[in-house]
Amino acid sequence: MAISKKIQQLKDKFGPAIQQVDIPGDNRLIIYIDPASVKPICQYLFRDMNGRYVISIGCDDRPYSGKFQVLHNFAFDPDKILCSIISRLSGDKPKIDSISGIIPGANWAEREIKDMFGIEPVGHPYPKRLVLPDGWPEGHHPLRKDVPWNEVPEGFDETREFSFDETPEGCTVVPFGPFHPTLDEPEHFRLYVDGEFVRGCEYRGFMVHRGLEKLSETVLGYNDVPMMAERVCGICGCVHSVAYCQAVEAGAGIQVPARAEYMRTIMLEIERLHSHPMWVGLACHLVGFDTLFMQAWRIREPIMWLAEKITGNRKTYGLSLVGGVRWDLTPELKAETRSVLDKLESEWIAVVSAVSKDKNIMARTRGVGIADKALCKEMGLVGPVARAAGVDIDCRRDHPYAAYDKLDFKVIISDTADVWGRLIVRMNEVFESIKIIRQALDKMPEGPLMAEITEELPAGRLGMTSVEAPRGESHHIVITGDDNRPRRWRVRAPTYQNLQGIPAMIKDQRLADMQISLGGIDPCMSCTDRMETIDIRTGAKKVWTKAELLSLSRVNKG
Amino acid sequence: MNMIVGGAVNIGMVLVLAPFFQGVLRKVTARIQSRQGPPVKQPYLDLLKLLGKEDIESGEAPVLQRFAAYLPLAVLLTVACLVPMGFQAPLNSSGDAILLVLLLTLCGICTLLAGLASGSTYSLIGINREMMCMMTLEPLFAVAIVMGAIQKGSLRLDEVLSGAVYGPTGFALSGIAMLVIMLLAFQAFVGRAPFDISEAETEIMEGALIEYSGPKLALFHYAGMAKLVVYSALFVALFLPWGSQLPLPVSFILFWAKVLVMVLLVTTVAATHARYRIDQAIRYFAIMLVVSLVTLAAASYGF
Repeated sequence: MAISKKIQQLKDKFGPAIQQVDIPGDNRLIIYIDPASVKPICQYLFRDMNGRYVISIGCDDRPYSGKFQVLHNFAFDPDKILCSIISRLSGDKPKIDSISGIIPGANWAEREIKDMFGIEPVGHPYPKRLVLPDGWPEGHHPLRKDVPWNEVPEGFDETREFSFDETPEGCTVVPFGPFHPTLDEPEHFRLYVDGEFVRGCEYRGFMVHRGLEKLSETVLGYNDVPMMAERVCGICGCVHSVAYCQAVEAGAGIQVPARAEYMRTIMLEIERLHSHPMWVGLACHLVGFDTLFMQAWRIREPIMWLAEKITGNRKTYGLSLVGGVRWDLTPELKAETRSVLDKLESEWIAVVSAVSKDKNIMARTRGVGIADKALCKEMGLVGPVARAAGVDIDCRRDHPYAAYDKLDFKVIISDTADVWGRLIVRMNEVFESIKIIRQALDKMPEGPLMAEITEELPAGRLGMTSVEAPRGESHHIVITGDDNRPRRWRVRAPTYQNLQGIPAMIKDQRLADMQISLGGIDPCMSCTDRMETIDIRTGAKKVWTKAELLSLSRVNKG
Repeated sequence: MNMIVGGAVNIGMVLVLAPFFQGVLRKVTARIQSRQGPPVKQPYLDLLKLLGKEDIESGEAPVLQRFAAYLPLAVLLTVACLVPMGFQAPLNSSGDAILLVLLLTLCGICTLLAGLASGSTYSLIGINREMMCMMTLEPLFAVAIVMGAIQKGSLRLDEVLSGAVYGPTGFALSGIAMLVIMLLAFQAFVGRAPFDISEAETEIMEGALIEYSGPKLALFHYAGMAKLVVYSALFVALFLPWGSQLPLPVSFILFWAKVLVMVLLVTTVAATHARYRIDQAIRYFAIMLVVSLVTLAAASYGF
């Protein structure tokens, strides 16, 4: 109903520019458009139809259709629709109008497409290199199909350094990262600081490329990818493996058994239950309150043990395969889960009351790292960051997957738009997760854990899915392929969007607030860096000898 | 002779007990955090380990760096000789309350020197914060000492450092108000949470100390531990003198027991508070300072 209305609206407005429309499911919409109209169409979707920008994806379709493709994905949360706008571009020197001017949140995605596929975003406001390593030669695009997965390109120069933009006048540079006590993963923020105030920053990330997406379409098979997808992130791995499987299932039209859907729901919520207390603890650590940090992690520990009992691992559950799950819950495990949840709930109530009354934490987080509704819309911010700003989105309710449509839970929102709001949202989401798991344990039906898949999965189908990770929406797109592996798989982790909001959040704030502002989005760098290519061997190969290191550290002697 | 023996005892006690108190602090903190915690002797081992490491010269001005590393411990040990620790202060006749105030300020200056000498951005931010804290915080201790001097009408150490703030009656309201103020600001004097702003590991990676390692870092750590003890001793002498007139072994034991209580107090507060941001801390100190000046005025009118 809502879908046909949307299609009609677009057709009325743009007529022949809408070339072809696919409706692969009740809530999925795929529209092929004339690339020349990509800008007005996206603007109309984003502004007039109030779509939420999700991600843009490049795709090398030359072996099949001779063309490159660019997909712009939008979500219509109230109508429960995920929508993909596909432009087919020439196979030679591909170009497409940049939409970053009208949708600032598309900035990274378009730069990534430029790096990876060489598709030129025409009119991009800041077309600097984003993903590829500094020494990577121009004109070499690793995700193109004619590039082998293990190629080190001619002309790779490991000594070339990243060139930063000019420092604004009157500011000093404070380097933050790649290694810093509060960054768990290597990222570099170059902060422009005026006294104690941050005036701007430049970001250089993507330092831990592991080439996962390239591997998935060249080396691995459909059922190997979930195991790798889980290693996209150390914290929300289960989210990625479930999301990948769901995307394949959506593309290939596989129906997952009900018990498997409940298992996925339970494990996803267990993952949230370990992630949120971990974040609350870290946030306390960032503002120098180590006691609550330790207590939060102590309370979280039984959840890790529970996960280990169910799956064999504290993390990296190895749960999902295409078509179902690998682990089951015995009645004893169910009983144990319940008792762990009861304990967690009572202890968490104490933490919540301690934190919400603590004047110092309040003083350190109120009015800090502001991301209001407007910023959320522009940059496509998701998860607790958006919900703390009063944006009522949650993929579990808006784009239901697994068993969430059969369960009853609240979407926690707050209206302070600051780190304090994010803290409140995350703390209360713990209670909702407990509620969800209890219901799922009650309602879980008996039955098989895997769907029977007897035939080859059909090739060339597009499946997309959004899963609510602890940090926000994880969006996966799979285009199914031949040889028992996907043709293209793209992960958009929540931090990919949320991190782009950071410069606006920290601008004109105190340096002391930088950590907690960044911490406020619960950044997951490895998710963001999941990416493509390859170069583990050349970039970091230099081994420093002790003598060299010593001479380096003594350069300034005397 | 008394001066030398007394000085040796004071310095020795501070040097020997400082790591012990740090160990107690860590153990108690761990218990509050539901952790096992390191053994109480751990700080001794840590110091020994650091002292045994290679002494690396780095930073902008290595000579200044070395000097800045020796200075704080030296200053604190000098202060230790000016404070009565269970018996009369060893250098009682060689200094007065003003010297004491100056030496305490010098302590803060050491941190500035240390940061300047290493010249890293983080250490510069650290000393920037330290300086802001110092300017609002150091006058507070001076006010307390001056208050004692006003009550006694003398700058002599043995007069001031014997609970003088409570006046001749031993129960002056201004003295009690000052006690409360100093208790509220005490965490800041010893540089512990919630006022560990200039070192804030999660923000600026130990600030001024970022470039230090090995023996020099050990000296800084040692000075940090000694600072806790010396300031506690000062606090005890200024505000909790009761029992110092008792015969020697009793007064001595009583004194160190009081210091231990101060350390436990610091531990508890540090473990239950989040770090302030520099502007919040400065506002806090400024209020303290204004109130303390009002109290001082009240004291000079005999309240």
